[in-house]
Amino acid sequence: MPGRTRPIDKFATAVAKCSAETSAYGKCILVDYNNVSKDKCVTEFMRLKDCYLATAKKR
Amino acid sequence: MNAFSIRAFIPPIARRALPLRATRRYAVQSPGAPTIEIFSQQHKWMQKERAARDVEASRSVDYLRDEVASRLCERLLDINRQFPHVLDLGANACNIAHQLTLPSEDSPENGPRGKRIGQLTAADSSETLLYRDAHLPFNNEINIKREVLPTSEILPYEANTFDAVLSSLSMHWINDLPSVLAQANNILKPDAPFIGVMMGGDSLYELRTSLQLAELDRRGGVATHTSPLADVRDVGGLLQKAGFNLLTVDVDDIVVDFPDTFALMKDLQAMGESNAVVSREKGAIQRDVLLAAEGIYRELHGNEDGSLPATFRLIYMIGWKHSPTQAKPLERGTGMFSIKDYLEKDGKKGDGEGESK
Repeated sequence: MPGRTRPIDKFATAVAKCSAETSAYGKCILVDYNNVSKDKCVTEFMRLKDCYLATAKKR
Repeated sequence: MNAFSIRAFIPPIARRALPLRATRRYAVQSPGAPTIEIFSQQHKWMQKERAARDVEASRSVDYLRDEVASRLCERLLDINRQFPHVLDLGANACNIAHQLTLPSEDSPENGPRGKRIGQLTAADSSETLLYRDAHLPFNNEINIKREVLPTSEILPYEANTFDAVLSSLSMHWINDLPSVLAQANNILKPDAPFIGVMMGGDSLYELRTSLQLAELDRRGGVATHTSPLADVRDVGGLLQKAGFNLLTVDVDDIVVDFPDTFALMKDLQAMGESNAVVSREKGAIQRDVLLAAEGIYRELHGNEDGSLPATFRLIYMIGWKHSPTQAKPLERGTGMFSIKDYLEKDGKKGDGEGESK
């Protein structure tokens, strides 16, 4: 689709700028991935989401 | 409960305009065990049509289908006979036809791989995808006839028609696999091979596990995002049940590296391979879940160079239709030499072939 960026592309570029937060969140889940429950890593996730929201807004 | 729908016989264009409720269902019990509808054929058809309409994107993700079709054609080359009439069942964008016009990688001097094939009938339910490459030059090099099937689960051919039936990467969307295999067996001539390849087992297990963990953490439960797939163990039984003889089943892993999960999902969508499980959650995946899955995928499965591997496990199957004149396996215990001695002597020669790329 020329001339138009798909929302998923915008999402991907914004997420790519938050690699530190992404990996921190992933590591938190992986500590005990046989025993994941809701909001197990909510603090790390919120940090990741804040970073994503900030980078998405910047442009 | 196993209703037989006439919807299958309505041509796709009319079917698109027809609301689901207008279809009358008759209470006719099909023979055998009742089949459960796991995949929505309607939805799968729509996804394929939609994906193929964007020709450029659709061609750019042909890498998997082309590679698999190429490996399938190599298996066809192993059979030393003429094939006057061949069916390509679930042809997608006629990838098999394209690969047949290319020479074999092992012996490029022998000409195109399809030279022993008389006519190839390419059948698929998605018209747009089937005719996507109809104007490309390779179509002149092979005698190909495209046929749009009203449904991918009923094969409208006479018994004993084809000298071989091929199928590449489309059988993993079929609900009633035993029935389709039995139909394939029926339309084959006696002593003719069925050569198929389907996604199976642990395909995309990285994506599956990441999404599951992400949903567990974000939403506290798991939804269906990837299809249930047949396992290698099941395929032998399925072929046998469909009446095939002299079975060969083997597995091949293709690992593709992607920059991120979004690229993987976009490619799957462009292939028309998005989720079409009936019990799927309608609508897009939540952004929170996508965000979380990206992090988990990267940490759990990611390569050291930052790319994300996605495994496609392909199950190749070869079965032969029964014929009284067919070569039969020898009786147990009639072997003339020990296979153990043979393998120990030559074991190192043939290793490492057909592994992941």
